Amino acid sequence: MRNLSTFEAPALEAPLAPFAGVSYEKMLEATSLVKYFYRGTVNEVLALDHVDLKVRAGEFVCIIGSNGAGKSTLMGCVSGYSLPDMGTTVLDGKDITMWPEHRRSKLIGRVFQDPLAGTCASMTIEENMALALRRGKPRGFRRGVTKSERELFRASLAKLDLGLETRLTDQVGLLSGGQRQSITLLMATLIKPKLLLLDEHTASLDPKTAELIMKMTRQLVEEERITTLMITHNMQQAITYGHRLIMLHQGRVILDFDSDSKMKLTVRDLLQHFHTAAANGTDGISDRLVLG
Amino acid sequence: MSFYAFTGAIEQGLVYGLMTLGVFITFRVLDFPDLTVDGSLPLGAAVSAVCITKGINPWLSLLPAMGAGFLAGMITGILTTRLKILHLLASILTMTALYSINIRVMGGRPNVPLITKPTVIGPVRELVSSFGINPWLASSFLFLVLVIVVVAALIWLMRTEFGQALLATGDNPRMITSLGVNTSFTIVVGVGLSNSLVSLCGALVAQNQGTAEVSMGVGTIVAGLASIVVGETLFGGRRIVSKIISVVLGSVIYRLAIAMALSMNFFRPSDLNLITATIVVASLCLPRIKEYFRNRSYRGKNA
Repeated sequence: MRNLSTFEAPALEAPLAPFAGVSYEKMLEATSLVKYFYRGTVNEVLALDHVDLKVRAGEFVCIIGSNGAGKSTLMGCVSGYSLPDMGTTVLDGKDITMWPEHRRSKLIGRVFQDPLAGTCASMTIEENMALALRRGKPRGFRRGVTKSERELFRASLAKLDLGLETRLTDQVGLLSGGQRQSITLLMATLIKPKLLLLDEHTASLDPKTAELIMKMTRQLVEEERITTLMITHNMQQAITYGHRLIMLHQGRVILDFDSDSKMKLTVRDLLQHFHTAAANGTDGISDRLVLG
Repeated sequence: MSFYAFTGAIEQGLVYGLMTLGVFITFRVLDFPDLTVDGSLPLGAAVSAVCITKGINPWLSLLPAMGAGFLAGMITGILTTRLKILHLLASILTMTALYSINIRVMGGRPNVPLITKPTVIGPVRELVSSFGINPWLASSFLFLVLVIVVVAALIWLMRTEFGQALLATGDNPRMITSLGVNTSFTIVVGVGLSNSLVSLCGALVAQNQGTAEVSMGVGTIVAGLASIVVGETLFGGRRIVSKIISVVLGSVIYRLAIAMALSMNFFRPSDLNLITATIVVASLCLPRIKEYFRNRSYRGKNA
């Protein structure tokens, strides 16, 4: 466990055996992000308090924290949904801090919490996937879905093993939430993104479907070695998946486990950290908490 | 209903079908209730009429008319996306401003007569009568051809990458933004496109009736909405192609229903708005009534 506010690159000889594929090349670098809501009013909230986060290419980072800890705000600053008041966001060497959301999408794939949010209900499966295939590309007057693309969609849907490959021209609105979330996940990775943002993407699904989606997530992310940030409220998920686990509290990164220390964690440990963080209130982080 | 009332309704249904397609793009595709149309219909009429009085070819005059409509729609789109004014209000503002602009376009007068001027219908009339067909039907033939062309163009557009982005903008703006589409842009272009069709309709109506009037746009949006609802209720399908075609058919049925109502002695022409509102309410209720009876029959079986 280390304190992120004094982040140091891990020693090069540190073994990463079970997670081969993580390089030391920086992919995402958020520096000193500050975000206020309702600034200058009595309701002022400091949602992000100088957050630093460096993520290496190919790394799969789980983010946990209680409600209002700043997880979604942090992800919003990366996705462009909201802009930080201070600080910079650099992705793949480009300073994207002030880029509008639609421009960043060239680099970023996203899956939302609401399983209906990632697809167009009135459009067909192939139309939705074709929209995703053109992520970040100019859209002109060529055909919206071509024959060769259809084959590609059929092949990638077949990998899901949900029988969707025979339903390309069915409207997405006819599918279940789990099926739609599977398609969204597939769409987000159809063109390999520089960064994949998963915002509690299994939270609204039943346990069985959630597990299926997580398996799929792992498969897709590991296959393509996609740099990933995943917000979750499920501690077991946070421990089981990914190479790294960070905990946010009151707008700060208070804990950061690398893959080795993460493997030793239990849900009980994590809950303990949650309670300690909550008990510390607004006074910030005690040394006991930071040093574990 | 007389032959003239019937064919007149078909003619109106076809030409206002172009307007209905425009309203369909905003209301249904973009989910953007746009009242600009009440102003952009007379705008198209005014621009086309003024061009014709200046000696421009009536076919050619349709282009600046559509361009003006596109601009009017763009203004509503920009008020909404850039200045963050509520779409409904933004469109009312543009519509209000267009009233003044339309009078200015017509040189300070509330109308421009075209009776003695060449129009796109004139040559068609001659052509039709040379075949021995009643020249009264010329407008219907012309508008039918134009509607088919516009419907085909729209179907093509909706299948392109841009059209798909337009459809997605109305369906799920958050999703399509995350896939790299600037929804402000698609909304501005979409509303512009919608109003260019409405202006085209206005220009054709003016040429057909022989005058452009500043008040001819009143009630456009209600008629457009009524046509869409009628079309969807009677012919509606899930696919965009069937939706586009059903909307045009809805426009024809709507005008026929109006003509039928007005042909009864009980009604007066001034009852038009009341009849329109009743048709919209009836069409909106129809699916619920159908469902009620379906459920009742199921209950009967289970008992």
